[in-house]
Amino acid sequence: MRFNSLAFRLFATAAAWTLLVLPIAGFIIYQLYRDDVQASFDGQLLKLVNAITVDSMGSAAGEAQPLPPSNLYEPLFEVTHSGWYWQITPLQPASGRKLVSPSLATWTLPSPEAKSVAPDASGARWLNTKGPKGEPLRIVEVIDSLGHEPGKPRYSIVVAGPQDWLDHLVANFRYRLSTALALAGLGLVAVTLFQVRFGLLPLRQIERGLAAIRSGTATTLDGDLPAEIEPLQSELNALIRSNQAIVDRARTQVGNLAHALKTPLAVITNEARTDKTGLGDKVVEQAEIMKQSVTRYLDRARMAARVGVIGRVTPVAPVVESLARALQRIHQDRGVVINIDCPADARFSGEKQDLEEMLGNLLDNACKWARREVELSIETPTTTSRAKNRRLAIIVADDGPGLNEEERARIGKRGLRLDETKPGSGLGLSIVLELARSYGGTCELGRAPQGGLSVHLNLPAG
Amino acid sequence: MRVLVVEDDKDLNRQLVAALGDAGYAVDSAFDGEDGYFLGDTEPYDLVILDIGLPKMDGISILEQWRRSDRKMPVIILTARDRWSDKVAGMDAGADDYVAKPFHMEELLARVRAQVRRASGHAKSEIECGPLRLDTKTARVTCSGQQVKLTSHEYRLLAYLMHHNGRVVSRTELVEHLYEQDFDRDSNTIEVFIGRLRKKIPADVIETVRGLGYRLSETPAEA
Repeated sequence: MRFNSLAFRLFATAAAWTLLVLPIAGFIIYQLYRDDVQASFDGQLLKLVNAITVDSMGSAAGEAQPLPPSNLYEPLFEVTHSGWYWQITPLQPASGRKLVSPSLATWTLPSPEAKSVAPDASGARWLNTKGPKGEPLRIVEVIDSLGHEPGKPRYSIVVAGPQDWLDHLVANFRYRLSTALALAGLGLVAVTLFQVRFGLLPLRQIERGLAAIRSGTATTLDGDLPAEIEPLQSELNALIRSNQAIVDRARTQVGNLAHALKTPLAVITNEARTDKTGLGDKVVEQAEIMKQSVTRYLDRARMAARVGVIGRVTPVAPVVESLARALQRIHQDRGVVINIDCPADARFSGEKQDLEEMLGNLLDNACKWARREVELSIETPTTTSRAKNRRLAIIVADDGPGLNEEERARIGKRGLRLDETKPGSGLGLSIVLELARSYGGTCELGRAPQGGLSVHLNLPAG
Repeated sequence: MRVLVVEDDKDLNRQLVAALGDAGYAVDSAFDGEDGYFLGDTEPYDLVILDIGLPKMDGISILEQWRRSDRKMPVIILTARDRWSDKVAGMDAGADDYVAKPFHMEELLARVRAQVRRASGHAKSEIECGPLRLDTKTARVTCSGQQVKLTSHEYRLLAYLMHHNGRVVSRTELVEHLYEQDFDRDSNTIEVFIGRLRKKIPADVIETVRGLGYRLSETPAEA
């Protein structure tokens, strides 16, 4: 997943929200639970202190001293240092009888009232403290007079319960809650990931479709896409079609223009040749210039029409075969053999017509000059590197007289012919050069091992 | 040698007919695809010059139909469409050569000669037969080194016989291949021209095969 991608944005926002919300929710749930547990524990302590108060103060209406509780209430009051204690201490006068639960042994519970803890609405005072073993205790204290009558001796009745039991309970809950929430969070993130992948699947499909168009294995963006991006698909297909149509139309019109101009030129030239005055020669000369201009600008127009067209890939082998067939027929009298070494999977990233134009001109030249054989070898890229760096290496070599360095330097210029004895317009090589350049390729002349000219053409592979 | 020119441009058609006529060919012409197709399908031409962009029926279709019905005469495509894709399409349709407009008439004539020679099985531009020697490039005939002066009709007749030397050529075949379509076809004129030729070259070179026609003998009986 790339940093700058739709998938990452969707996933990151969803994941961030999950990671933010789950801990907050967990914290709130934990607080609520702890308060709840604390309240019920406090309620239990309050019930105990009230029961003991009623027992020790209320029933002894006529007594001068408090009585021990008539009921055990909590068996752990009997177990030494169990964490459950009660204590009745005289306040006024201090000489009164002091009663404690057996669990307290020699320990004395602190009085919240002595620590100036304010009473709550029901008159109870609450305090957290430590017990005889250092264990945390929750203490509640009620102050009452014997027989509940004002003016009688006042006692402090204290009940303590073990706070660590409560803490333990809450810690246990916290552990289970966080485990559950962490699992839920993981699940949510996983679901988000799946959702993003699944939801963006059609975009992947478009990506693959475009790659197929670029590599030429498809001409339109195919597939059943969701409603949201279907307009994009149809617009893109319409764009590709119209682009293709424009190119085709331009080519057709260029062809028509060629036809329209070249026939009258042929007529003028032929007519002028029969004229024996100086006028005829002049006309022939000028008509030749016109012919070259027509050819040059038609080539330019063809190239311009092609710029920016995507998605045309031409298999090389069929082009090479039909060219060789045609050329061997054209040069039948010379008995030249064209040897082809072309891998079946070689593909040129560009227009078929342009490949035909380049190879046709090179092979035609080679056939004109060769003594016996013309070699055409094509190498496909061996690297599996990125598509845009893949190159086709094409070599056309003949066993004819070849060219020296100075001739090779001159020959690329348009219209220049080194030898007027061979038929041809002399435009062949320069057209090849321009076409190769327009595809970002190169065309270099060299010396063939068999003696003649060799042309190295480097073109983008499909 | 009889040649058909199928070209819709009237001026170019006229020029081609004139140039080919001057070079010693009997020339018929058609200005649209349908006429061209019909002529090529019914008349025994030794060569056809065919334009691609024709009204009514395009050159490629014409050529394909001829080849499908086994018409094997050499065809030279003459067209403004000079891209290799067009050339390949033309050659694949069954053309023997391809000349792009605008062209040099001399080059076209050279290609016409080459195709005619090739079709009758001669590899070189000079055809020899006994003491006779025909230079197809210059349209000159020599006999034992001496130039033979011939009228254009005599040349046509002798050139046809030399192209097909060693084989019996009937009078009908000669009439069909030596004269344009609208020529008054009287096979007696052939006999007249044979008679004239026999006066200019050793008489026994042209052998009469009774009931069948004429044959140019490689080794004429020494008289």
